[in-house]
Amino acid sequence: MAIRNLLFEHREVAGIEEMDVYEKLGGYEGLRRAVTLERQAVIDDVKTSGLRGRGGAGFPTWIKWNGIPKNTDKPHYLICNADEGEPGTYKDRELMLKTPHLLVEGMAIAGYACLGTAGYIYIRGEYVEPAWQIRKAIDQAYKKGYLGKNIMGIEGFNYDLYVHMGAGSYECGEESALMSSLMGERGNPRLKAPHAPLPVHEGVWKSPTLVNNVETYCAAAWILKNGGAEYAKLGTERSKGTKIISVSGHIAKPANYEVEMGTPLLDLLKAAGGVTGGKLKAVIPGGSSVPIMTADKLDKINLDYESCAASGTMLGSGGFMVFNDTTDIVLLMKRTSEFYMHESCGKCTPCREGTRWLFKILDRITSGGGREGDIELLLDICSQIDGRSYCGLGDAAAWPIVGAIKAFREEFEYWIEHKRSPIGDHAVPPTPVVVNPLLTLTPA
Amino acid sequence: MAESVTSNIREPQPAPAKEARFSELAIAELEEIASHYPERKAACLPGLWIAQREYDGYLPPAAIQEVADRLGLSYSEVEGVATFYTMYNLRKRGRHHLEVCTCLTCAVKGAYEVVHKLEKELGVHVGGTTSDGEFTLSEAECLDFCGAATVMQVGDKYFTQLTPDNVKQVIDELRKSPDYTPAKLADSIVKTLLPGASETGGGSYSVEDLKNPAGPML
Amino acid sequence: MPDNRLTQTEASLNPAVTQMVNIKIDGIELQVPKGENIIESAKRAGVDIPYFCYHPRLSKGDAANCRMCLVDVFAPRRAPDGTVSLAKMPKPQASCTLPADEGMVIVTDSEAVVRDRKGVLEFLLINHPLDCPICDRGGECPLQNNAIFYGAATSRYTEEKRHFPKAYPLAENVVFDRERCIHCARCTRFTEDISGDAQLGFLKRGADMEVGTFEHTAYKSKFSGNVIELCPVGALLSRSYRFKARPWDLHSQRSVCSKCSNGCNIKIDYRLDSLQRINGRINEAVNEEWTCDKGKFGHSYVSSEARLKTPMLKTGGEWKAIDWTEALQILVGKLRDANGSVAGIGGQRCTNEDNFAFQKLFREVLKSNDIDSRVEGYLGSVNKPLYERFGYHAMGNAIAELEDMKTILVLGSQLVDEQPIIYLRVRKAYRFKGATVINAVSSVPEDSPKVGDFAQLELVYKPGTEAALLKGILSVLSAEKLASVNGFAKGYTLEKAAEETGVSAEAIQQAARLMATGKLAIIAGREVANHANHLEVVQAIGDLAEATGNAQNINLPGEDVNSQGAADMGVLPDFAPGYAPLENPGKNTAQILQAAADGSLKVLWVAGAKLLEKFPNRELAQAAFASDTFIVVNELTMTETAQAADLVLPAASFAEKEGTFTNCERRVQRIHKAFDISLEIKPDWLIFSEVATRMGGGGGSFFSARDILKAISAQVPAYAGLTAKSLGDEGVRWNYPDK
Repeated sequence: MAIRNLLFEHREVAGIEEMDVYEKLGGYEGLRRAVTLERQAVIDDVKTSGLRGRGGAGFPTWIKWNGIPKNTDKPHYLICNADEGEPGTYKDRELMLKTPHLLVEGMAIAGYACLGTAGYIYIRGEYVEPAWQIRKAIDQAYKKGYLGKNIMGIEGFNYDLYVHMGAGSYECGEESALMSSLMGERGNPRLKAPHAPLPVHEGVWKSPTLVNNVETYCAAAWILKNGGAEYAKLGTERSKGTKIISVSGHIAKPANYEVEMGTPLLDLLKAAGGVTGGKLKAVIPGGSSVPIMTADKLDKINLDYESCAASGTMLGSGGFMVFNDTTDIVLLMKRTSEFYMHESCGKCTPCREGTRWLFKILDRITSGGGREGDIELLLDICSQIDGRSYCGLGDAAAWPIVGAIKAFREEFEYWIEHKRSPIGDHAVPPTPVVVNPLLTLTPA
Repeated sequence: MAESVTSNIREPQPAPAKEARFSELAIAELEEIASHYPERKAACLPGLWIAQREYDGYLPPAAIQEVADRLGLSYSEVEGVATFYTMYNLRKRGRHHLEVCTCLTCAVKGAYEVVHKLEKELGVHVGGTTSDGEFTLSEAECLDFCGAATVMQVGDKYFTQLTPDNVKQVIDELRKSPDYTPAKLADSIVKTLLPGASETGGGSYSVEDLKNPAGPML
Repeated sequence: MPDNRLTQTEASLNPAVTQMVNIKIDGIELQVPKGENIIESAKRAGVDIPYFCYHPRLSKGDAANCRMCLVDVFAPRRAPDGTVSLAKMPKPQASCTLPADEGMVIVTDSEAVVRDRKGVLEFLLINHPLDCPICDRGGECPLQNNAIFYGAATSRYTEEKRHFPKAYPLAENVVFDRERCIHCARCTRFTEDISGDAQLGFLKRGADMEVGTFEHTAYKSKFSGNVIELCPVGALLSRSYRFKARPWDLHSQRSVCSKCSNGCNIKIDYRLDSLQRINGRINEAVNEEWTCDKGKFGHSYVSSEARLKTPMLKTGGEWKAIDWTEALQILVGKLRDANGSVAGIGGQRCTNEDNFAFQKLFREVLKSNDIDSRVEGYLGSVNKPLYERFGYHAMGNAIAELEDMKTILVLGSQLVDEQPIIYLRVRKAYRFKGATVINAVSSVPEDSPKVGDFAQLELVYKPGTEAALLKGILSVLSAEKLASVNGFAKGYTLEKAAEETGVSAEAIQQAARLMATGKLAIIAGREVANHANHLEVVQAIGDLAEATGNAQNINLPGEDVNSQGAADMGVLPDFAPGYAPLENPGKNTAQILQAAADGSLKVLWVAGAKLLEKFPNRELAQAAFASDTFIVVNELTMTETAQAADLVLPAASFAEKEGTFTNCERRVQRIHKAFDISLEIKPDWLIFSEVATRMGGGGGSFFSARDILKAISAQVPAYAGLTAKSLGDEGVRWNYPDK
């Protein structure tokens, strides 16, 4: 087990973002095969593949696809969540930038299988370059008849694909907030089951809606081309196929690596050239929202959903961040909590008030104002947010801090007792002076 | 993050004057985009992007009003949207808006040093605009190109692998470049929303840039 | 018109369901409708779940944000082998949006729930200033109450709190203390769901999020007062009530608003003899719980210094305060001398009891039929416009019935000003029940809210061309065979209508098509009521209603608080109480004023009618007041009309008397006396009754308002059987006998 380039198979090929090159290398064969099948057979093939949502939660993809009503009493909308925002993750960026047609093909296949009326690719506003590639791919696909009216000559297979650009909000990566944002509202999350119907029944505009991640759609395109069984050959029993891991931080060769599910974490670390600038201290394997892992625990972790969960962390979206021993974990957590404070939408009490409180405490500690009891207070606030917030952002804000305290409690204690970094003062960058602050934290 | 420009106002303000600055092309773009959705309201975010281009890179009250009027929404609703998303500028920015990612990976890879270097280089603090109106310096949340830390977004362009040593070069380059303004960013975003826009080459957008994204992945 | 506004937030209130499910809350087993919010089920079970953002009348979509109502939930889960077991949901659930389902088990008293509540309150209080001792809401504040019952004794928050300027003047009558806001979204949802102007919204995000208006402009609404009552903390406050009283110092009296004919149920909160504030009182059939700003903030006159506290006599152009004995002596003398040449105008602002006594005095004691309650608009026989054709007078529908309409045509009305509560029902029909609204009006104001904001179609016609518009619609219905038009549109074509009204032919066509789709209610307003050719317009409305099969859905609501009741009580020249026709009809308002102006009328008694202010022919009114006719006016303050009179009698306001009002939908509702401003102020009925007694009694002497109600229920068939008791708190709507 190690690097297995399925989605990245052609990423080094020059011009792969163009239709002719992509087609020459077997592009749109997945769609061609899909439309020869019954719609249910397409979904079944995805089921066979064992593909699970690559956005972070790992929900079986076929269940969503199968949940979309089989009739078209209402229009069906397909959404691609390309609002990649999780710190540490940049896989969707590369997929869209390099192989935009793979995504377009995946969405066309889903459009066929789920009787889609229209698809929307919700791309974060900062990703102008990837979005432009998607734009080009969509335009080319329309010209070739892979999108539009009577696609591939199939009477009644009408499916439009649009790009929708975000405007700067991490929260919009959350499925229901993304739907709010797509409908032109503030990026607030919406009620979820059991409080409201599932998106596959009532999502955007009260119509059945399918939301999947970029990587998921891309994988679906690969699966339809090569067959679900082929995909299922890879990976572990419950985590099939490959996962793209974005490696960053103190690492020799930061890049996106597509690994087979179940690959030992240390193998990936080696493949990426190993830690730089010092000794390995910790790894966050799945994006900023997941608990941090100390170096000594890494040998037990494989890169699949179950193994990560068993070790007390998560595979998440695959934002794999490597930290060497010059990293001050408390500062890192301060910055993490600052991120969640900035990105909290403000809708619910625990997240709105709790994330700011967490930041203020961590800011105080790292400014030399730590007090006895602060660690317990942090843990307590986290437990008051975790599971109590309206959507997962609150949880995501609490987990890393709980994880960090669990793994590096002595560093927090050191800061509180000695009012300085356990790593040494050089580890503390001077805080920038901010005029016109983005967030008012000080009294008026 | 939305800016706190108005929190301490103590008296209700008079209604801002209305303007209609959308060009014919902009209106056509808005209508085309609105037709992508079953409800016009969904064109709120794209409408604000168009407005940000038409109003020279930021959204004064008149821009919000114009979007609301064109989509049949209430003003406070659209202002709520405009102030929610960080990429909508509520105030005028410098010709180049430097947004340095200081989130996790960038932070450990020295983003703060980059910020300090930029502060020194430009003579402004974070949030400030140089007196010649050339640069506004900001911190950004994760720009999600962590492998290429430290990352800085200027207009529609990412500058990657920044260090205190190479930012000066970037600044000098930007001083000469006309391309990466906030209005240009809005323009590029609007173009990605328009079917067929790629066939025109996307205006001044350089294909070269697309083919050679900076960073370690290639 | 934008037909796309505000449709995306989850708008469904609890849907009507018949299926019942068995659930268990804290060990209490009960049956509730499937899908009911658990927080409501808990109320049935007598289990208290604290909340802030939840409100039964606001959409669910933005609720569940305060997280105060979290409960533990166990839901039945079916295993693959078919066995059902209870599984605890991994996260606590917000009970305000959780729909009840079969077998659900809810726990609200577990240690975890207790801790969750403490946690949420701690979060809410980290930024909420603890200035309860000087906060108007203190003593009736949900946050304060919940903090006492469910919060921790201390806070662990030692960082800096958020600060904003206090008492920001958000609206004309509302101040906003931004520091106290807990972001429950009740006010923002109110402006979006209920009033429909969406002026309040959340700006910015995260910890910086705040409620605000666009660019800090003033919040201009006709319903702004409701957000004060909705606010679960002291963030939104009444400007007039601010620092005026502590809630525990106030006494409260049930009443009905006196500002318009909608008859909103209100509570008068008063201290000693002064009115402090008006709050809405729940009456599902009328105002639900809302009030309009006119009603909520418009009653300061009751306790104002300007109130008349003694009778005033004008001698030689100078006003002189006199006592009641002298006043009545003078008045009775004048009436005796007049020998039947007496007339009365007014009563629309008085109770049914006042009106009944008014007409008794005139008909039975003074032997004159020259009384009329109407001051403006149509002054012909009240039976003519609607009753003779359809069997009812002003409103065919009850206010609540409007919710069930498929289409609502608002014709010639600035509905939000004229009938604010009907406006809210129309808005509710649109927002929550999917009704289509068509607004036909001659001018469109700038301000929101208004019907045009959410109307599917807005037809702006040239003033006075209502009949042409309606005939144009009928001609389309006829041409497109959408309805059996019976020749109503004879001689009319779409083109002609379009030309006359200035409305485009397509719009008229569209309107006609929308009206032919099902239940249609027509609400006609001031432009129709005051139309020079009122009968012709009503005729055309009737034709449209009849053609589309909606003959019972025409609504021409009156505007004054008791315009309906005054007519019911026979304060009309041609009808005795209960619309019993008179053999010798008297003069109507215009004729009375003419008689006064001609010098042929000896005494004119004006009961609270603002003749000089409102009568359309002002010159005639002025001539009448300038004549030798002795004019006596019952009034609260020295209005322009009172100034022009000879004798002014201080009358009690609605807060100082008992009685009943009949609202525009014919709902008879009680008002209660809250306090006395002065013992020298008398309710109108008592003034009439005392005069009647001094003139020899007859049928005009009464002992109490209740005594009069008894007489009314004996004489007026529609009011038969109505007693103070049977009217209860919510009133009784009288109906025409089936024909």
